[in-house]
Amino acid sequence: MKHIQKIKLKNFRRFKSFEVTFDKTLNMLIGDNEAGKSSILNAIDLVLSASRSKTETIGLESLFNHEVVEEFLNSSKRYKDLPELFIEIYLSEQNNPDLNGKNNSDNIICDGLFMKCSPIDELSKEIKEILSQEEPCFPFEYYSITFKTFSDQSVTGYSKFLKHISIDNAHISNEYATREYIKNMYSSYALDTEKNKHKNEYRKHKEAFKRSALTDLNSRFDGYAFGIRNNSKANLETDLTLTEADINIENKGKGRQCFIKTEFALNRSSGKIDVILLEEPENHLSHVNMKKIVGKILDAGEKQLFITTHNSLISSRLDLRKAILINSNSTNVSRLNFLSEDTAKFFMKAPDNNVNEFILSKKVILVEGDAEFILLESFFKKVTTRDPHYFDIHIISIGGTSFKRYLELAKTLNVKTAVIRDNDGDYQKNCVERYSEYASDLIKIFGDSDNNRSTFEICLYLENQTLCEELFAVSRRTLSVQDYMLHNKADVAFDLLDKKESSLHVPQYIKNAIEWIKQ
Amino acid sequence: MDKTVIFAVAGSGKTTHIINQLTLEKRALIITYTNNNYDNLRRKIIGKWGYFPATIKLVNYYSFLYSFCYRPFLASKHSTKGINWKSNTNFFARGDRRYIDNFGRLYSNRIAKFVVENNILQDIIPRFSKYFDVLYIDEVQDFAGHDFNFLRDISQTDIDMLFVGDFYQHTFDTSRDGKVNNSLHDDFRKYLGTFREAGFAIDSATLSKSYRCSPTLCQFISDQIGIEIQSHRTDSTLITFVNNTAEAQDIFNDNQIVKLFYQEHYKYGCFSKNWGDCKGEDQYNNVCVILNKTVLESYNSGRLKTLVPQTRNKFYVACSRARQNLYFVPYTFLSTIAQKCE
Repeated sequence: MKHIQKIKLKNFRRFKSFEVTFDKTLNMLIGDNEAGKSSILNAIDLVLSASRSKTETIGLESLFNHEVVEEFLNSSKRYKDLPELFIEIYLSEQNNPDLNGKNNSDNIICDGLFMKCSPIDELSKEIKEILSQEEPCFPFEYYSITFKTFSDQSVTGYSKFLKHISIDNAHISNEYATREYIKNMYSSYALDTEKNKHKNEYRKHKEAFKRSALTDLNSRFDGYAFGIRNNSKANLETDLTLTEADINIENKGKGRQCFIKTEFALNRSSGKIDVILLEEPENHLSHVNMKKIVGKILDAGEKQLFITTHNSLISSRLDLRKAILINSNSTNVSRLNFLSEDTAKFFMKAPDNNVNEFILSKKVILVEGDAEFILLESFFKKVTTRDPHYFDIHIISIGGTSFKRYLELAKTLNVKTAVIRDNDGDYQKNCVERYSEYASDLIKIFGDSDNNRSTFEICLYLENQTLCEELFAVSRRTLSVQDYMLHNKADVAFDLLDKKESSLHVPQYIKNAIEWIKQ
Repeated sequence: MDKTVIFAVAGSGKTTHIINQLTLEKRALIITYTNNNYDNLRRKIIGKWGYFPATIKLVNYYSFLYSFCYRPFLASKHSTKGINWKSNTNFFARGDRRYIDNFGRLYSNRIAKFVVENNILQDIIPRFSKYFDVLYIDEVQDFAGHDFNFLRDISQTDIDMLFVGDFYQHTFDTSRDGKVNNSLHDDFRKYLGTFREAGFAIDSATLSKSYRCSPTLCQFISDQIGIEIQSHRTDSTLITFVNNTAEAQDIFNDNQIVKLFYQEHYKYGCFSKNWGDCKGEDQYNNVCVILNKTVLESYNSGRLKTLVPQTRNKFYVACSRARQNLYFVPYTFLSTIAQKCE
């Protein structure tokens, strides 16, 4: 199977220098906005397309790292210091000497492809003149764009070594993208012999149309005749479209378009496609369709997939171990491949969750359920006078006590995590011993140390007895106020927040958790 | 590993022999030197299968040296731009200047040496066995200078090898560079010895008989030129020394008969070639060889054998092109029969 082992970027978009290795089947790129997920997909697409015009359309100015360009312009601006841009794609063994060589920045013998943008030496004199002007512009126009293999062979769109398809569901209504998609899908599904035959037949039909349908019209004048266009702008490939139940894909809703494009590309019989680049498949998709797409992705067969996503459902269901986390503040990546199989499977099966939010955070407070979640933000403000967002702290309710799964993630990713949980009648056992293997400078468990104060509601009641009696004495019939609170957790929490927020007292163990996490 | 070098005679079917060895099961690399042989091999490979199989790679020597050996490992290091076919005239050059000219081109006769100098032999050698099962080299006798050393180096590769060549068809060198291997082709026995040392079996029997040349011609070549050659054929052909202007004029004007000149054939305005350039060609029935001053004298005195090897070899190549009749026309007729364009 053909696959990409590694990508290496230099001065490309926000990456001055970056490299990341890939899994041979599935890679999920997860990160904040502006973290560079799409840039990585874009880089792969550019090198595999090996199209100079595609690169020029985007423009070197937007491909080059802005900082590097700025730095150069603020330097003494010598020709030899002009920055270069490259994208190197290291491939698995392809048994093709044309791909194999040492022309890569790792200086290893390997199969691979690269794109390089560097100043044209033959124009160095002109470039020097430009650079010596006052307030010069960066000489992007004097850069060459080359596509080569690691054996220094030139690559053109015709000599493709890997077949790929790029689906960008974030920009689904783009007409150009749709046409490119259809063209790519056609050329990967249709056999070479078929393609030539189709083109030939299509031209013949146009001729026939002219000869039959247009005959009467054309017979009315001498010397001139109407004909059907047949050139690079009007041929089989430009006229092809994709239909479902005879309806043109372009006339379908965006959600359905996304779904069709993704499903069609993932189809097992499109065996000629080696690499699929899938940008935010969750876009425009309903929950149900998203689940369907996840199923298709898992069943894609012999293909290497690259997916960017913000969606927890997609990332956890597909296998968190294949996630590559990209941080917007640094160029380091983290991955979850050391996650135990057990935990990875847990997240695949667990109810829909906020695992993406968790892994992208620096500081997190984990709580058991809805009641804690509803009140915690208010508690936080009471203790610190500010919102948790101010400290980049996320509050996540995990709906249960499966803290260990999250703590395993926290441990791998160095997420500072405060767990707030009930002692359930045995503080030592439930809040200390159970998490002994995770407790560290970055992970701390907070629970009430009094075994009698076994749940959040009991703590809350004891802390705010008058207030609760006043608020809930009316609604209950037979239960004590404390029992009523235990039976109606979320409603009680909401009522407290809604009606008594200003006078609520924060239980001490929660106060401790908040003080600790904000440090 | 089976490593054999076959020494053949003209017209004995070297190309066909290589084609017969080729199978789709073994990935083959075929390196040839002349464009003629490249075309012949390509045509016959397509003839054998009806298409050009992907498992067979046919390259000419420089494209092999540059694209397969040099560029994968050194292109980005030295950012060179192509090949300079002349020799370096700057004898005081030092460092990389000995190999690369002012325009960033590699001197063709030193690429092999440059590759060795850059210590990438250990990278190149495994490249053969990784991508190929058999290495064929055609016209092996033309490897000279640094290229011959390089050939010996790469023959350490652990794959089957079959080299074919005709020692006496050594008419040009892949490269020449000062004293490097400059006496390599002086003595056939010593030459064979260098192959034996490199672990090759020598086969001088398989391709010792010519299909192209008749017994008459073979006998002439053996007796007069002194190069041992036998024929598969039994018919006899004519060898004519032309000694009158009218006949010389007829032959000269006959576009069915190729006129082979020692050099500068294009100056005479007829259907012609140079002796050296017709190596590998197989399409002529009747051939006319124009005898220049030196060769004519040796011919007349029956001392063709003592011609300097380079000239003798080229003369042998020229004569052995004939399937049918061979005509010798002395250069003295040229001033009357040819309109020389200067």
